[in-house]
Amino acid sequence: MEQLSSYLQFHDVTKFFGDVPVVQQPFNLAVPAGQFVVFLGPSGCGKTTLMRMIGGLDTPSSGEILLQGMPVGAPDIRRGMVFQSYSSFPWLTVRKNIEFGMRFRRDLSAAQKKERAEYFLKLVGLTDFAKSYPSRISGGMRQRVAIARTLAADPDVLLMDEPFGALDANLREDLQFELRKIQKNSGKTTIFVTHDVEEAVFLADRIIVFGPRPARVIADVDVISLIGSERNENVRDSERFFHLRTEILHLLRGRDAKKSAAA
Amino acid sequence: MTVPASPTRRKRSSLLCFRQQVPHSASLLAALLGAAVFLGGWQLLVELRVVAPVFLPPPLKVAQTFIHMSVDGSMLPNTLVSIRRVWLAFLISALLAVPLGILMSGYRIIGATFEPMIDFIRYLPVPALVPLAIIWFGVGETTKIFLLWLGTFFQLVLMVAADMKRIPNEYFETAYTLGARPRQTLLPVALPAMLPQLMDSMRISLGWCWTYVIIAEIVASDSGLGFVIWTARRFMKTDQVMAGVIMIGLIGLVTDQCLRLLHRKLFRYQ
Ligand SMILES: Nc1ncnc2c1ncn2[C@@H]1O[C@H](COP(=O)(O)OP(=O)(O)O)[C@@H](O)[C@H]1O
Ligand SMILES: [Mg+2]
Repeated sequence: MEQLSSYLQFHDVTKFFGDVPVVQQPFNLAVPAGQFVVFLGPSGCGKTTLMRMIGGLDTPSSGEILLQGMPVGAPDIRRGMVFQSYSSFPWLTVRKNIEFGMRFRRDLSAAQKKERAEYFLKLVGLTDFAKSYPSRISGGMRQRVAIARTLAADPDVLLMDEPFGALDANLREDLQFELRKIQKNSGKTTIFVTHDVEEAVFLADRIIVFGPRPARVIADVDVISLIGSERNENVRDSERFFHLRTEILHLLRGRDAKKSAAA
Repeated sequence: MTVPASPTRRKRSSLLCFRQQVPHSASLLAALLGAAVFLGGWQLLVELRVVAPVFLPPPLKVAQTFIHMSVDGSMLPNTLVSIRRVWLAFLISALLAVPLGILMSGYRIIGATFEPMIDFIRYLPVPALVPLAIIWFGVGETTKIFLLWLGTFFQLVLMVAADMKRIPNEYFETAYTLGARPRQTLLPVALPAMLPQLMDSMRISLGWCWTYVIIAEIVASDSGLGFVIWTARRFMKTDQVMAGVIMIGLIGLVTDQCLRLLHRKLFRYQ
């Protein structure tokens, strides 16, 4: 659908909570429009904090984050976020949840909003559950609701903080497959946080691998050049996939693996 | 979800099993039995003249008086007066407490302004303020409403603020990244997110209103259930006192059950 050419950039960003450094070394990153970037690292290394700063939910202690060349400020509709828990509103039906994503958009008429809600319901395969409340559907469906709601708002950047973290393995794989497809079709620049290596490799165009806190980049992996951009269940079983996964696991464990993966 | 307990050792029919489910019919029967034993013992106590009926009228007599007073018009108009006072004071309390509680929790500076003061006032016992209320407002309707309001408003504000504080931050942050300004989240996010809790808080404070209305009516009134009870006391009509007390209990029970039912209906999505 809509394809805005966004360009996201971290410029010498640091973050301290009081005296506690979370991002101590100035962090720099340039994300081209439409790229699917995964932040991968151990728990507590500062991935969420970096992502929240893109969303404007936290502010950098120094440096700045640029979206299309302009410093980002308070949260707004251009940077949509999907959380791991409390991701959908329990008091709204699936359809109303998705419509909520367009509640603060003035550019759409009521009819257009209805139509879009229908479109995104279908996109995430929840048309039959439109009238259900989140408590009546599975955890995986709830995350799809949240994704559809954020897409309906049509942000420039899609931010996802371990959205599949609470789901069991099979469901996770299905959702990863769907998300990758949706992301490619919509062309949304996406930042996805996870500590799961396989998830990262399957989803990402590019993986930023972090070491333990304070956040320190130990690798910037160009996944497309290593396993291609086509992702399906065959890819998951391929040797290249397995190799890359192992290599990143070693990186994370601090072994001095041959850096064939690191770009 | 019963834990399978070694069925060979324990008979399935045993009702006295630690932390285990019992059939619904058994619970009901037990409740009825308990009440019957209580009322029977009470009746027996009076029949055997262990206590004088003037101090403890038998339950049958109390029931008789209750029906009699309900029919002859000495109870129902006074009951309506009390109900009206309770609901009027309660609604004023709620209408003021809900917005203030939400603002206090939403904006730290507003919380800092009011919280210490409210924390102090809510510990003032209502009966201690009766003399002041009478000096200020006389013995009219205003005094009673004021006392009830005093007893509930400050408690309720703090409960509302706590209900608001309990809302997960994710709900607000999701709304921000969908384009909402903080203020724009109050109605579509904060209110529905806290509503189930909020209704419980209001139900609890409605219960307190009933405590305070009786105090207010005993101290300064010529109408209401408190007045009925207090008048009966003067003539040692213990059965009438008890009938009045039972009426209060019944209203409380019915109101509570209705609100719980409404709660279940409204928040079926939970
Ligand atoms: N608001 C906060 N105040 C103080 N410390 C925080 C705050 N948020 C996060 N931290 C700390 O910053 C570190 C990084 O947190 P986070 O970004 O959530 O890591 P990750 O998402 O990689 O698990 C953690 O040690 C956490 O305790
Ligand atoms: Mg995190």
